[in-house]
Amino acid sequence: MITVTDVHKEYIDGETHVRALRGVSLEIDEAEFLSIAGPSGSGKTTLLNIIGCIDTADSGSVEIDGAPVNGSSKRSLVEIRRAKIGFVFQNFNLIPVLTAYENVAMALALMGTPESEIRERTMKLLREVGLSGMEDRRPAKLSGGQQQRVAVARALVKDPIIVLADEPTANLDSETGESILKLMEDINRKRGTTFVFSTHDQMVMDYAYRLCRLHDGLIESDEVRRSA
Amino acid sequence: MTVFKSSRTGHHRTYAGLRMLAVLAAKNLTRYRRRTLITVSAIAFGVAIFIGMASMLDGLIAEGDRNLVRYETASAAITGTGYWDEREQYPLDITVADVDAVVSALEDGDIAAAPRVGFRGELIVHYDPYPEDGSVHLNMYGIDPERDARVFHLADALIEGQFLDPGEHGILISAWLAERLGAEVGYPVTITTRTRDGFHQILDMDIVGIYETPNPTVDRSAIYMPLDIADFYLEMRGAVTAIHLALPEPVPGAADLQPVRAALERAGVNLTESPAAGDGGPQSSAIELLSFDEMTAEFAAAMELQDAAFAVVLLLLGVIAVVGISNTMLMAVLEREREIGMMRALGMRNGEIRSMFVFESAGIGLIGAAIGLLLGAALVWYLTAHGIDYSAVLADVEMDFRFDGVLYGVWSPRTMITAAVGAAVLAGAVALLPVRRILRRGISDSLRQH
Repeated sequence: MITVTDVHKEYIDGETHVRALRGVSLEIDEAEFLSIAGPSGSGKTTLLNIIGCIDTADSGSVEIDGAPVNGSSKRSLVEIRRAKIGFVFQNFNLIPVLTAYENVAMALALMGTPESEIRERTMKLLREVGLSGMEDRRPAKLSGGQQQRVAVARALVKDPIIVLADEPTANLDSETGESILKLMEDINRKRGTTFVFSTHDQMVMDYAYRLCRLHDGLIESDEVRRSA
Repeated sequence: MTVFKSSRTGHHRTYAGLRMLAVLAAKNLTRYRRRTLITVSAIAFGVAIFIGMASMLDGLIAEGDRNLVRYETASAAITGTGYWDEREQYPLDITVADVDAVVSALEDGDIAAAPRVGFRGELIVHYDPYPEDGSVHLNMYGIDPERDARVFHLADALIEGQFLDPGEHGILISAWLAERLGAEVGYPVTITTRTRDGFHQILDMDIVGIYETPNPTVDRSAIYMPLDIADFYLEMRGAVTAIHLALPEPVPGAADLQPVRAALERAGVNLTESPAAGDGGPQSSAIELLSFDEMTAEFAAAMELQDAAFAVVLLLLGVIAVVGISNTMLMAVLEREREIGMMRALGMRNGEIRSMFVFESAGIGLIGAAIGLLLGAALVWYLTAHGIDYSAVLADVEMDFRFDGVLYGVWSPRTMITAAVGAAVLAGAVALLPVRRILRRGISDSLRQH
């Protein structure tokens, strides 16, 4: 479903040239529950960004659903992100002035989904992530775990082929973090949505069905930890 | 479902999407309440001042036009051809010769007409009864008292003494001049001038009345005497320098001249040539009909200059409002860079992000404009009801405006709506620049911002 081949990426941090990825190749299949693990600076966020079409590789290729994204126009990349990819961020990144419902519904509204369908799909997902009755709360009135559940619902509401989660439990206590992982795992099992998350947290690594370790911009190991 | 198609991108933008962007923009207005309030206040202040200043300027123009019509030009005038261009020299050789024929023709057409002879002269006063000897050069007018009162408002402006009587050696002077000369009704004056043929002439006259008009140009420069006296001493032989006309006007200075032309045509008075002169009368000369606009072209030019100065003030106000809202939007955009990055990562198009900020900025502009409109309306109400008294400031100032110190505003709904809509549109537009700056950054860079 997603093929990453010999991807290189360099960026400039102040006056330093950082070689974030130095020839990464990776294949991600449908319904995978994959963790990309590694210490800070190993390149996991850069890899996630390239897979998620919010950054581009300097060299190498990325294919999503068999279509190469290298050299695609910015507009095409926007359309890929809009239709096929969901994101969950470490800091939740919810819009503080919108309610939980509106944060989730926004993605569908922008896609031109009819109002009735927006309502139905959003409410269903909020129920699925355990936020029934909290639709009208703004993020400030939700706990960290609840906010991340809204973020998961927001990522899933447009039925993406893949959800990319950048350290989704980093800002949560271990119990809440585990509940989020459990939620994502359930959805992965139930809906067959592919989840790829970056982490340096052992508990998250333990949850992964497949663990890909990154070090200094190179894949150090790639192993299937447990089967579905 | 309503679907809008963006012509530039070809993408379909839905009602739900636009509504969501609008809702988000509206909610963001409450996000930084204090900053929004300050910006709204700045815009409201700017719009209100704009409306107030426009009202005053329109009032100044309206008052000027009214006072020109009432005391100087009337609705229109018939003069010897070329007289108006030379009027500041007060020539007595460019005239309307057969006044009776023209005036009769006009009066037959129910058009009030007031013949006048305008000339320059020196008014001389002597110690006792005056406090001291003195003289002043003035514009002098010989007027037909009865007809003049039908066209001009001078008779209504009399505050002391009586209006002129034909055949009487009396003059009207302004209260402004009387105060400076120490003159009172009944005091004698001597006037020196030149006749139509260029000979020196001296007239001994008495002050019979003192007037006070709202037109400072008239008050400071004009005295009046009966037309027959002026005619005799200036040897005008029945000719006048102008015949002023009173016509129905929707607003001062906007009269239709067609009835004048028709009345003259019916009586066989040709506007390109004067009627035949009588025995011993002046040589025939061409006459022309002048509209208010033609007579006040220089005044209008001066007003245009004032308009330009006004535009500069407005530009400054606009700059203040733009800088204020730019700053607010720049802060809003920079503070929400990570949020913008998140929206872009989720697939929000640049146009949608721009729209959201434009809605937000226009929302601030709209609230500011609405409040400014209300404040401006209150200001205009005050200005129309009470005006602003500039008399103390203008007491000894030479100026070309025709108002006497209390300036009243006028209602101009068009200006008010233009100001409000302009502020909202401008506010919306200024959001584009800071958004553009953020959209040029990489999404991952934006997501890293704290």
